[in-house]
Amino acid sequence: MDTFTHILNGFVVAMEPMNLWYTFLGVLMGTIIGVLPGIGPSAGIALLIPITYGMNPTSALIMMAGIYYGAKYGGSTTAILIRTPGEAASVMTSIDGYEMAKNGRAGAALAVSAIGSFIAGTIGVIGLTLFALPLTSMALKFGPAEYFTLMLFAMTAVSTLTGDSPAKGVIATILGLMIATIGIDLQSGQARFTMGVPEFLDGVGFVVVVVGLFAMAEVLRGLEDIFRGSSAQAMKITGKLWLTKEEWKRSIGPIWRGGIIGFVIGVLPGAGGTIASIMSYTTEKRLSKHPEEFGKGAIEGVAGPESANNSDTAGALVPLLTLGIPGGGATAVLLGAFIMYGVQPGPLLFQNKPDLVWGLINSMYIGNVMLVILNLPLIGLFVRLLYIPQGILYPLIVAISAIGAYAINGSTVDLWLILGFGVIGYVFDKTGIPVAPLVLSLVLGGMMEQSFRQAMTISSGDLKIFYGSTITVVLLAMSVISVLLPFIIPMLRKLGSKGDES
Amino acid sequence: MVDRIIFVCTVLLAAVYLWATSKIPTLALGDPLGPKAFPQMLGIGLLIAAGMLLAEIIRGARNKAATEEKSEPFRFEKHHAVILAIIAGTAAYVFAFERLGYMLSTALYLLVMTHFFNRGRMLMNVLTSVLFAVISYLVFTQVLGVNLARGIVPF
Repeated sequence: MDTFTHILNGFVVAMEPMNLWYTFLGVLMGTIIGVLPGIGPSAGIALLIPITYGMNPTSALIMMAGIYYGAKYGGSTTAILIRTPGEAASVMTSIDGYEMAKNGRAGAALAVSAIGSFIAGTIGVIGLTLFALPLTSMALKFGPAEYFTLMLFAMTAVSTLTGDSPAKGVIATILGLMIATIGIDLQSGQARFTMGVPEFLDGVGFVVVVVGLFAMAEVLRGLEDIFRGSSAQAMKITGKLWLTKEEWKRSIGPIWRGGIIGFVIGVLPGAGGTIASIMSYTTEKRLSKHPEEFGKGAIEGVAGPESANNSDTAGALVPLLTLGIPGGGATAVLLGAFIMYGVQPGPLLFQNKPDLVWGLINSMYIGNVMLVILNLPLIGLFVRLLYIPQGILYPLIVAISAIGAYAINGSTVDLWLILGFGVIGYVFDKTGIPVAPLVLSLVLGGMMEQSFRQAMTISSGDLKIFYGSTITVVLLAMSVISVLLPFIIPMLRKLGSKGDES
Repeated sequence: MVDRIIFVCTVLLAAVYLWATSKIPTLALGDPLGPKAFPQMLGIGLLIAAGMLLAEIIRGARNKAATEEKSEPFRFEKHHAVILAIIAGTAAYVFAFERLGYMLSTALYLLVMTHFFNRGRMLMNVLTSVLFAVISYLVFTQVLGVNLARGIVPF
């Protein structure tokens, strides 16, 4: 009964005029960030952290979460009208969405992605509401060894599931952990790897790493595209911003299925929105009576993936809020934001600050309503953003990044770091090394080392503690499986095809 | 080819990191592991990851030999020079950030960048650059209370 009161109380918090305003600001910025190429939700949230410093944590986190799920709505607009996903997870939408726009059904494509996003986003938040508490009661039993193995699982899953090469994912993960070791070791007070730079004693801030890897690197890529003349032009919206009865009938199934697929994938670490939308797309293609239409403007190919990548955001918040462990790059940035505000997500948060947690979760119901209004009747306003010349947009992103980075410590060291990580991000992109694992392990690095050392202190130096309980054994086994999976799947395929031949 | 360079860089980085780890002074305090153990694990982990990459390179080379595909060698092209120029320009911006102050350095940076990447729209570029630099400075320092470098501008 107590929980129910907490949930109801959360609605009271979420409905406070101040928090409604920040929900609106968050989803508005999210939509803009999603529409604009060049700056994604991760960089957007990271840039806001220094600027909103000192704000009431509940309002600030409501706003940042708004950016996170709002960006998915905006991303589909760009995917449909320019064929480049404004946000990575919209990549599947750009296939059939753009074809629909070419066939004069841009209005219907935009409408179905907004409606689908709304329905699936709400399914996701309901899932989050239902699953949060059972998981927290399990997480309360976690000791340092359990947390260490849980983080290990999150990292191995992310490193082997993002990108084409598991080895490169692991390299990125370990690089992130190494960056996290720079600075004063909190347990012994010993400075490590500071290379004589006094600013490094506090460690390399994750804000500059994220802004460098996501915003600055994207600026370099974008300007390169302009120079090569390969940047695309936006299509005009054609057709009414609504669905015909026939289109509606074809979309409702994919929306529901996409919503459920997205939520489940979101809860699991590693996979994330892109994989959720790919899975939804292939599911719909398989179920469809006319699979040949896919790729040529099938509305199911927009409805399903767009729904999946929206409910994925709510799913991804489940492990973040209940366990305090993010399962991907963007939620890792959100965890960083939580920590900057002195809020440690995890099971204890639900006990100690139920107002904050439930206020945040319930603000997402309201945020989704605001988003469907922003992205349907008001879509015309945001489409104008696509006509801003990119040659102006990208330099402005550099200036905005500089403001955000300088605001942290008032030091140009952070500006050099942004430039440096921008170059690293650009090189990583060209050489196929994923950056999401690096960001995740950078944010988790400190906690991971701490829990490792605490566990070893408890066991007085005996490694047995890591395979001493059922939870750790299961988590270790899942880590090993996620590392081996990329090697096993091709082998199984080979075996399967051989079996067919004989 | 690229993967081989990554492999060499990874091994070198692991070696440097392990060397730097060995230089950390240890004081026997409290926890049995001390500040070195975790970094040592990371250094070794990076070597293992490099080994995984080597395995992928070998497997890839074998598959390629079967399909007789040749990887294109890296050639320095014009757009690479452009990237280097952008990096140099942004470095100049960072260098000037505190010396000239946020407003001047940002206005200059935006003018130069938009001149090259948004050609032929002089008025639009000049207006955006100057207005953005001035307005953002005033909003952040006066309204939001964020510290930005003042530099040689008197306010």
